[in-house]
Order: sequence, then C-alpha cells, then structure tokens
Amino acid sequence: MKLLRILPLLVLAAVFATVARAADKELNLYAWSEYIPQSVLDDFTKETGIKVNYETFASGEEMLAKLLAGGSRYDLIQPPDYIAEALIKNKLLIALDYKKLPNFKNLLPEFTKMPHDPEQKFTIPYMAGTVGIVVNTEKIKEPVTGYKDLFQKKYKDRIVVLDDGRELVVAALYTLGIGLNDITPANLEKARPVLADWFKLIKLFDSDSPKTALLNGDVDLGLVWGGEGAILWNEDKKFQYILPSEGAHLFVDILAIPKGARNQVAAHKFLDYILRPEVSAAISEEFPYTNPNGEARKLLKPEQLANPASYPKIVKKLDTFRHIGESSTLIDELVTDLKNAK
Amino acid sequence: MQALPSTSANSPHARRPRVWGWVLLAPMIAWLVLFVILPMVILFVYSFCTRDDLGRVVFEFTFDNYRRVGDPIYLTILGRSIAYAALTTVLCIALGYPVAWFIARQREAVRNTLLLLVMIPFWTSFLIRTYAWITILKGEGLLNGLLLAVGFIPEPLTLLYTPFAVIIGLVYAYLPFMILPIYGSAEKLDNALVEAAHDLGAGPVRAFSEVIVPLTWPGIAAGVLLVFVPAIGMFAITDLMGGARVPMIGNIIQNQFSKAFNWPFGAALGVVFTFMFILAYALIQRRGARDPHS
Repeated sequence: MKLLRILPLLVLAAVFATVARAADKELNLYAWSEYIPQSVLDDFTKETGIKVNYETFASGEEMLAKLLAGGSRYDLIQPPDYIAEALIKNKLLIALDYKKLPNFKNLLPEFTKMPHDPEQKFTIPYMAGTVGIVVNTEKIKEPVTGYKDLFQKKYKDRIVVLDDGRELVVAALYTLGIGLNDITPANLEKARPVLADWFKLIKLFDSDSPKTALLNGDVDLGLVWGGEGAILWNEDKKFQYILPSEGAHLFVDILAIPKGARNQVAAHKFLDYILRPEVSAAISEEFPYTNPNGEARKLLKPEQLANPASYPKIVKKLDTFRHIGESSTLIDELVTDLKNAK
Repeated sequence: MQALPSTSANSPHARRPRVWGWVLLAPMIAWLVLFVILPMVILFVYSFCTRDDLGRVVFEFTFDNYRRVGDPIYLTILGRSIAYAALTTVLCIALGYPVAWFIARQREAVRNTLLLLVMIPFWTSFLIRTYAWITILKGEGLLNGLLLAVGFIPEPLTLLYTPFAVIIGLVYAYLPFMILPIYGSAEKLDNALVEAAHDLGAGPVRAFSEVIVPLTWPGIAAGVLLVFVPAIGMFAITDLMGGARVPMIGNIIQNQFSKAFNWPFGAALGVVFTFMFILAYALIQRRGARDPHS
C-alpha cells in the first residue's frame, strides 16, 4: 500500500531527473530556414553529445514575435542585424563570455563592432549578404550599373524585385541620395514618385525565391538577395550580379543568446564551433552567402571566392539596416498604396 | 406550491434528453469556445489596442485602427478582393454545376469513382499543386510549349503573374468545394419531379429554373459560402501566381502580422472582415429560407 502511494512520486522524480539531464544535453536553436547545413549540426552532436533542436522561421519579424510571446525557451537565436539591435536596446540578449569563444579571433574586423552591436557584447556574425541587381546577360546586352539602369521603360514586365517594402523604399532613397535609415514621412513622400514609376515596370514581387522567375525565363532582371544571386551564378554564368552604384544594403545575420536561455554553456560551445574555419567554410559550401570569417575564407575554393554575388566588388561603402520601429508601418502603407494604384 | 409536484412529475422525461443533449454537445461547445470564440475575443480586444516599438500589443484604447480600415486604400483593396472572389464563385458554379449534376445522374459505381476523382487533388499539398500551375503557365512552360508546337500562337503568351493566372488558381483551388455540396443536393433530387415538370408542359429552361435550381439551392448556397468566403481571404495564390503585384485583403492582413509590425491594425481588419462574413451568411440563409415559400 505504502509503496503504491510513493510510486507516482518516484516516477515523477525520475521524469524530472531525465528532463534535467536532457536539458543539459540539448540546445534549442531558432534560426532561418535553409541556412544551417544539417551535416554541421550532426557533427556538433557527434563531437559534444549535445542534441540540437533546430526550429526555423522565414522572417526576422516572425522570429521577434515568437520570441516576445514567450513560452518557448531558446538557447540561441539567429536574428538579422536590425532585429538584434532592437533586442539589445530592450535588454533581451545575454552578454557573451569571450573566454569561451577562442575562435572569435577568426572573424574579419569589419564584421565586428557593427552599428547594431557597437560594443560587440552580444552578437556573433553568422553570414552576411547584400541586396543587388541580377542581369541575364544573354537577354540584356547593355550594361546595368545601378537602380536607374535597372528600372527603365524598355525593361517593362521583365523585372522581378523582392516583395519587401523596406528594401524597395531604400533603393528609391539611394537614388535620391538619402540615407537608408532616414525613414521619415517627408523622405517617404520624396520616394513615392520614384517607386510609383518603378512599380509600373515590375513583373513580380517575390522575396522567397526570386531566382525561380529568372531561371524560368519569365524575367531577365532582378533586385534580389545576394545569396539568390550566388546560386543563379553557380547555375549559369549568364546571371551577373551587380551592386548598385547608388549604394547598397549589407545585411548581417547574427547569432545571439536570448534572455531566458537554459543552456548557455552549450550555446557558447555551438558559437565557438561555428566560428571554426573548417565549419564556417562547410556552411559556405552549401549556402553561398558572404562569409565574415577571415580564416574560413582562406579555405574556400577560388571559384567560390570568384562568385560576384557572394563576394561582390564593393564600389561604395555598404550600409546596414537599423531598427526603425513604428516607421515600418509607414513603409507598409506606402508600398500597399502604390501596389494598389498600379 | 401546488404546481410544483406536477412539473417535477413531468420533468424526468423532459429533462433527461436535454441533459444528454448537452453532454453530447459538450466537446463541440468546448472546441468552439476554445478555438473560435476565444480567438475572436482576443482579436476584438487587440483591434482597439496600440503597439510598441517592437510590435508588441499595448493595451491602450484607440479607435485609430478602425479609422484606418475606412481609408480609401483599404476599401479599394477590399472591393477588389470581393470582385475576385465573386468572379471565382460564378466560374465555380458555371463549371461545377454541370459536373455535379452529371455525377449525380450516374450509376452508383461510376458515381463513386467520379467523386473520388474530384477529391484526389486533396491528397497533394495545396502549395505543391499551385507550383504545378506555375510550371504549366510560365513563359517557357507546358501550355505555351504545347500551343507553340501546334502552331496556335506565334510567340509565348504572358499567362503567369497576371490577374488571369490568379483567377485560374482560385477557381482550381475551390472548384471541388462547389461540386461536392451541389452533388449532395442533386443526388437527393427525385427524377420524378423533373419528369412531372416536363409532363406539365415545362420546357428544359423552365424545368431547370423552377424545379431543379430551387431543389438544389441548399447545395448551391453551401457551395457559394465555401468558395466565396475563403476566396476573399486567400493570399498564397495572389502571391505565387499573381506575382504579389496586386494586393488582396488577405495579403494586407498577413503583412500586418509580419513585416508591418502592426497586429492591432491586422486585428481590426480581421474583425471587420468577420462581421462581413456573418452578414453575407445571414443574407444567404434568409434567401434560402424564403425561396421555397415564394
């Protein structure tokens, strides 16, 4: 009788013990889809015995919303730079312990102390990329160097652009010589006529896979993510990637430990593992973004480094996005209005 | 006091089925409260709130979200979404009614096979089927290839990323939802009634409009609701097949919860939208109830 009464408690205790041990050996990672090769995660588990639970999101905003809603405990998150900045400002990230990150030295200096984390206290750059112009040089013979060459009347219905209001507004601001983070109602009014002209020429808006329409031959020019441009170039050298002469946006996806992380030890282990040259190079092999790891770049093959979309020729200083908060509504309203008017 | 015994004498018979009714209904009521009413209440509350710098909902009362819903931009978009959904519904009836009628008039074995064929597309993910349409309609796609090979057209047609493609996608996606309920009513329709109409001198048009349509009206009404309502809110097809060029109300609401960081405005759009559906539903119900009497 007595044993029967104690039994549930024993079971409960056993369950707690396993859960506690499991938490020790698990890392909850919340990251972009299509960004971390499975082999890289498997090798980490093989080496450390720590199981990686890889949960994915498709936009920085989606990640932020889920993180703020609470409930799910992540040990490591992978926000874009401007979302990381917002998280730092709202004290939602845990400071890194650099004693546990000896491989941090492998990073190129230009990817540290960036505007989103000026003291380099909270974030580790994972991969970077640009937004640029892709041209199918078989169909388009004239040189395209900037936004003004891209959005020409003769290219009507031959252009794909990212379905991302902020990227489009920023491109318009560049042609006006306005800084990309000066999102004010007055500046948006200046951008409006520029965008209105552009929107008449655009065949489709696609952020998820703008390369598809280019590969299918439905369009010949595009304003796309550098990663997409790199894949297109690998597929066929006729797809040339150009950074717009008016200016271009550099994005950095970072890794950081959010407040409430249960397994900070494992998180640091994973960060240092990712910073190893050979691991970072393996990631570049599968996802050809711009690698911020100087030692890893030395391991890349010449053709990887020659990919103009991964390692573009930088004519003008690249700018990064800053957190703009409620101004995002202004952008959404402007873009909706323009699409609607078309 | 005297009335009491008599009611209690009646009640065991009257009350027991009622209690059992509630017990049987309980899971469904719990489901509705948890997953329909509660989310609607949350949406309703959010729609009067504001948001902070990170897009978190702040409980500060405001009417601004509803004021914004009334902005001409959103009214035009809503109007366009309704127009697309209405066209889709009309095309679905035009294509679906003959099919449903035809299936309903077959032998049972044939009928079941045909019904199975209508439902087979559901075995594949909706998104994959939409991508298949991209392969068919793209510039160097199957349809253009076929038409060029036959010599029907001199150069490839622009089909993908046009309103035409959106309508194809919508009709394709929702056609089964029109066929199945109409089939349901058409199958129950007694052929003797149609014959009687003919015997009484009604031509095919009159027999159709005065006998067949009223008798299959419940199926048509259900089909209209099943097609029209979700077609208004659809955003995946307009994005994938329309190239996201022309915004629909579904895209706008989706944007508020992602890029625009504006849940309260998205909630307000959702609430207005829901009330419209309730209204549309009430109208169709009333029409359906009135019809047999007239």
